[in-house]
Amino acid sequence: MRLTFGDTRLLALAAGAIAVGVVLFLNASRKQRKRKKLPYKDESDTVYVVQIPRGKKVPSPSPFPIKLETYLRIAKIPYENVFARKFSSKGKIPWIRHRGKDVPDSQFAIEYLNEQFNVDLEAHLTKEERAMSRAFLKMVEENLYWALACYRFIHDDVRKADYPSVIPTWALLLFGRRIKKYAWGQGMGRHSVEEIFHITKLDFEAISDYLGDKKFLFGDKPCVADCAVFGMLVQVVFNQTYSPHNALIKSEFPNLERFCWTMRNAFWPDWDQILAA
Amino acid sequence: MGSWLSRKSKFDDTSNTVYLMQMPRGTRVPSLSPFPLKLETYLRMAKISHKSILGFSLSSKGKIPWIRHRGKDVADSQFSIEYLNKEFGVDFNAHLTNEEKAVSRAFLKMVEENLFWVLVCYRWFFMDPKDFGFSKPIPWLWLAYIRRMTRGYAYGHGMGRHSEEEIFHIGKLDLQALSDYLGAKKFLFGDKPSETDCSVFGMLAQFVFSNIESPHCALIKKEFPNLERYCHTMRNTFWPDWDQVLKGDASSTKL
Repeated sequence: MRLTFGDTRLLALAAGAIAVGVVLFLNASRKQRKRKKLPYKDESDTVYVVQIPRGKKVPSPSPFPIKLETYLRIAKIPYENVFARKFSSKGKIPWIRHRGKDVPDSQFAIEYLNEQFNVDLEAHLTKEERAMSRAFLKMVEENLYWALACYRFIHDDVRKADYPSVIPTWALLLFGRRIKKYAWGQGMGRHSVEEIFHITKLDFEAISDYLGDKKFLFGDKPCVADCAVFGMLVQVVFNQTYSPHNALIKSEFPNLERFCWTMRNAFWPDWDQILAA
Repeated sequence: MGSWLSRKSKFDDTSNTVYLMQMPRGTRVPSLSPFPLKLETYLRMAKISHKSILGFSLSSKGKIPWIRHRGKDVADSQFSIEYLNKEFGVDFNAHLTNEEKAVSRAFLKMVEENLFWVLVCYRWFFMDPKDFGFSKPIPWLWLAYIRRMTRGYAYGHGMGRHSEEEIFHIGKLDLQALSDYLGAKKFLFGDKPSETDCSVFGMLAQFVFSNIESPHCALIKKEFPNLERYCHTMRNTFWPDWDQVLKGDASSTKL
């Protein structure tokens, strides 16, 4: 078959496109290799925490990495952050790797680390206080979380919230659609905007009433529930400062803001230095 | 099914009776879902005149239970209780301190937003359907559909991403918290029941009376016997007619 001039031009274009594609792929692979890899066979005691990169206003736009990192700081466990969009075996972030073992889910990670490092942030609590600590932990992570997630992703423009710039807008919007579907299944997503705000207010009121004038939830020493409450409240107090929830805390539950500052000053004295520029 | 059924003449919109829409009775518990049991226990505690309509007519939010009172529909058990508190001047938390009210809410949410999903995952993924205690066997097509839907919901919630052992462990920690807080008390906050007792009873009754073949039931009997004692206290106090209700009595009617 003899090639016409038109065929040759087409072939040349195709070859050019393939060449450009190969160059782009190799370049991306080079960037991938240059990105920090997660050590696998590390026999040191360092705990590697995989989470998404820092924001400009808060160390993480998600409450769970902040909860986990705050726990590590309180327990003085040596750790290193790996900022990557690498999800755990359960499809979520954060997760940890320690001595080659991966532990997904912030609460399972904490239970694992308690055992490995002989830590118990609840040792000073009575049996009833431990029970209440679990109840508040679950209220915040399984109820308040969904109320705030519905506000951030469904009722309001998610682009206003502080997210690291490496996460493109289309990814945020896609994630928001997923949250909407999950929230429907969980139940919170079936309520109206006003009803969800009402539920949020009742949760804030419960935490505020229980905290009262105390430094932490159960007195002068923090526990895991404090880490969870802090991780959740910073999203309102420091991240989404424009939200009606922020105004609600300032006007009706100022001790929640005071609590956030106490936790931040005590365990995140480097807060301003670690935020993204 | 759907809202057109709810407008049938079974509802008398002029009386003060509260109509409670819920699933048909189980063979071991008045409701196989914790939320209708919570709501009906509350209505009995508050001595509010009510009638259960048994069927599958879903609320405006796509769920059961819901109530109708004087022609007004209220979906969601907790919003229903808040509505009824206002309408009938009821407040089962009036005797609690501010801190106790806060703790009450925390336990309410732990039970309804965490322990509930342990129950759901166990029932639909790990148990034999004939152990549920439904009055009729579930057709296999329905079972497959409900399992598929529940798997999606549980995955989105998060509980569905854990293994069976992890889910059991999470359930154990919640039951331990309830047991430790209840201690030797008659109800969660002392000698008088509060609103959260309705919810805790609604949930625990599923483990203690319904899912008797489940590992959580065995766990309660062995390690948290005060939870079983508590369930019997609530049942004897607010459901003295438990057995008659299961057989089908005048307190409920089919849709």
